[in-house]
Amino acid sequence: MTMNHPYDDFPHLLFSNNTATATSTSSCVEQHDGISLDMDWDCDFHNLIESMMSDKGATTESPPLLPCYHGQEGIFNSSSTGSSMADELDHDVEAGESKGLRLVHLLVAAADASIGADKTRELTRVLLAKLKDMTSPNDRTNMERLAAHFTNGLSKLHKEANVQRQYGPHQHPDHVYDQVDVMLAFQMLQNMSPYINFGYLTATQAILEAVKYERRIHIVDYDITDGVQWPSLMQALVSRNTGPSAQHLRITALSRATNGKKSVAAVQEAGRRLTAFAESIGQPFSYHHCRMDSDTFNPSSLKLVRGEAVVINCMLHLPRFGHQPPNSIISFLSEAKTLNPKLVTLVHEEVGLMGNQGFLYRFMDLLHQFSAIFDSLEAGPARGFVERVIFGPWVSGWLTRIAITDDGAEVESVASWPLWLATNGFKPVEVSFANRCQAKLLLSLFNDGYGVEELGKNGLVLGWKSRRLVSASFWASCESSE
Amino acid sequence: MFHAKKPSSMNGSYENRAMCVQGDSGLVLTTDPKPRLRWTVELHERFVDAVAQLGGPDKATPKTIMRVMGVKGLTLYHLKSHLQKFRLGKQPHKEYGDHSTKEGSRASAMDIQRNVASSSGMMSRNMNEMQMEVQRRLHEQLEVQRHLQLRIEAQGKYMQSILERACQTLAGENMAAAAAAAGGGYKANLGSSSLSAAVGPQPHPLSFPPFQDLNIYGNTTDQVLEQHNFHHQNIENHYTTNNAADTNIYLGKKRPNPSYGTNDVRKELLMWSDQDQELSGNQAIDDEHRIQIQMATHVSTDLDSLSEIYERKSGLSGDEGNNGGKFLERPSPRRSPLSPMMNPNGGLIQGRNSPFG
Repeated sequence: MTMNHPYDDFPHLLFSNNTATATSTSSCVEQHDGISLDMDWDCDFHNLIESMMSDKGATTESPPLLPCYHGQEGIFNSSSTGSSMADELDHDVEAGESKGLRLVHLLVAAADASIGADKTRELTRVLLAKLKDMTSPNDRTNMERLAAHFTNGLSKLHKEANVQRQYGPHQHPDHVYDQVDVMLAFQMLQNMSPYINFGYLTATQAILEAVKYERRIHIVDYDITDGVQWPSLMQALVSRNTGPSAQHLRITALSRATNGKKSVAAVQEAGRRLTAFAESIGQPFSYHHCRMDSDTFNPSSLKLVRGEAVVINCMLHLPRFGHQPPNSIISFLSEAKTLNPKLVTLVHEEVGLMGNQGFLYRFMDLLHQFSAIFDSLEAGPARGFVERVIFGPWVSGWLTRIAITDDGAEVESVASWPLWLATNGFKPVEVSFANRCQAKLLLSLFNDGYGVEELGKNGLVLGWKSRRLVSASFWASCESSE
Repeated sequence: MFHAKKPSSMNGSYENRAMCVQGDSGLVLTTDPKPRLRWTVELHERFVDAVAQLGGPDKATPKTIMRVMGVKGLTLYHLKSHLQKFRLGKQPHKEYGDHSTKEGSRASAMDIQRNVASSSGMMSRNMNEMQMEVQRRLHEQLEVQRHLQLRIEAQGKYMQSILERACQTLAGENMAAAAAAAGGGYKANLGSSSLSAAVGPQPHPLSFPPFQDLNIYGNTTDQVLEQHNFHHQNIENHYTTNNAADTNIYLGKKRPNPSYGTNDVRKELLMWSDQDQELSGNQAIDDEHRIQIQMATHVSTDLDSLSEIYERKSGLSGDEGNNGGKFLERPSPRRSPLSPMMNPNGGLIQGRNSPFG
């Protein structure tokens, strides 16, 4: 129930329905961690390449099996060839499963190699080449498609890490999707999963309750992106205020210098849209833009009006969000406390970014997270499109994030954001019945398998089966009245 | 703004579709791929008797009930779920009697009651207190439901406006590109330009349609996408013209009345993509109008056939018709976003005394 141990189910990582996978995965990691430094890379590695190249020509219909990694030899044992084992599998389903399993092993191996010393660079390359060979974003099973996105993300990391890029161009060039595609896909994602709206609507409801009797509401939004969160709030405000006593809404959106000029333009554009929307439904509204220079938040740059209720809105690492360096979040939250906010809403994905876990741990956690999300998405004609446009960049963004975090540049002593808030002068604000109820209703619109879990008194978590996906929690500064 | 419709269209049509088979032991099972047991009044009474005999719903177990009831064909699975519902104070509703509006709303109210009761663990409190609490929360939950729908719609509308704005910009760029580089440079942009054409140029980039349009307006992405993909796949084969917009309008069978403007182009496209199986290419304008009217009024039969198509395409095996928990419509593009439970008078502007914040 607490945030401190979100990874209790770690041994069941990746395929909770397949215990064999889970155990073999975790065991091979341990073994590898123990021996990686002593390993004779060149020798083992050539064996590996050879064994991999040899089954390159096989069709995807009946994928040859990689060596099974359950032996004592560790991940990179390539003494047994896959062909003998392939015969044992008659059924398509089994073949699909074992391919998925194999992809997971390869991905983990590639991720591990990618952070190794210089010598492993070549290994990474080979593993990634192999993965690319085996996967495509158009594959049949979830795992294959997901693996394709992870492969892409890893390749990007690998490419960036290689300063003297001696390899040819990427097989899968990065697509820069145009805004229409992204928006379209985002909208479809909303129809396929409560993932985004859970955070948005839960935060919105909490805000509405917190500012019920306020005449002026001022929301400071850490990352507004397209402003998609706010129309529902405006609509709700309009629907409860008719007549002259309408509540005035003000939103100040932050833009971070690290995300460049583009983000400033986007923030301004979001402001225009929101203003137009507010006008169309008759909500008194004003919009401001506040730059965060060098990732520090300066509250004095905000325009504050006496008597307005300040709400701090913090949506972290949702898809389509730019890079959000932890130190900028910390700066934002700790400075925001001086504004004496009526409410702080915090929504974040349940991926281990903080603490002092290694890259591999985070990588596997991420893989687990995304396989749960993929599992939870509703099928539909648009699914492939959504995966390509939203999940490709999303996975890639996360991989970059965990790699950066691993570099030590942004290592946190914080275990999680809720914990940070709790220990930095914020007090929990209880989740209302209406809010819990809304979350449950929202989930009832989608596949069975989603669930809402209460996180203390002040938090809600959206889960898919046993995996937590997104959590929302509500806080106020300790000094604030009430 | 909420179009006239049969509130219980989903349930109703489900019941019509589902054939039932009566087994020799008197059990009624549906012929769905996943046969469900129909809890007839008689069967339920026997169940209640058995539960009472065993000392109440909390003491009775599926196994003991099965033994006491002694009905052939009844499985532990059936009893387990029925007992669960029974324990939560829910009367299995759909299986009895008619499917009138009243019935439907009562059924949903039951669901809510069940949710409320289970969510707060109040079962052990005294009945009066509990009933009042349930009443209050029931009301609250209904409110939440109504609000949630409106909020999702508002968001959908906003996203749609972004989309249209972007399309318009792209369309403009493509026009310019086409003019500049007659052909060569244009090809690269075909994908987006076809999409923009599908959505149609908007006269006022930042204008929002009235809320009334929302039902149709906010939920058309799939159709737009189909257009998008369709053109991605076929544009090279079929269209040599530079003017993708013309092609689209042609496909969409532009309606003679120009005063409807750009929104209608979209609606027609939507219809074209939805109805192509039924239209089979060459039906008269009359038919088209009929369909439009049906679309506009969300006539249940039409909607159901649409959602059927959607289900088939998407591989969803949703059985919302029988699933008491899903009393809100999912925001699926081809269904009315309003559930039967929604207040038919509920406008955008709600009473200011709403307890919801």
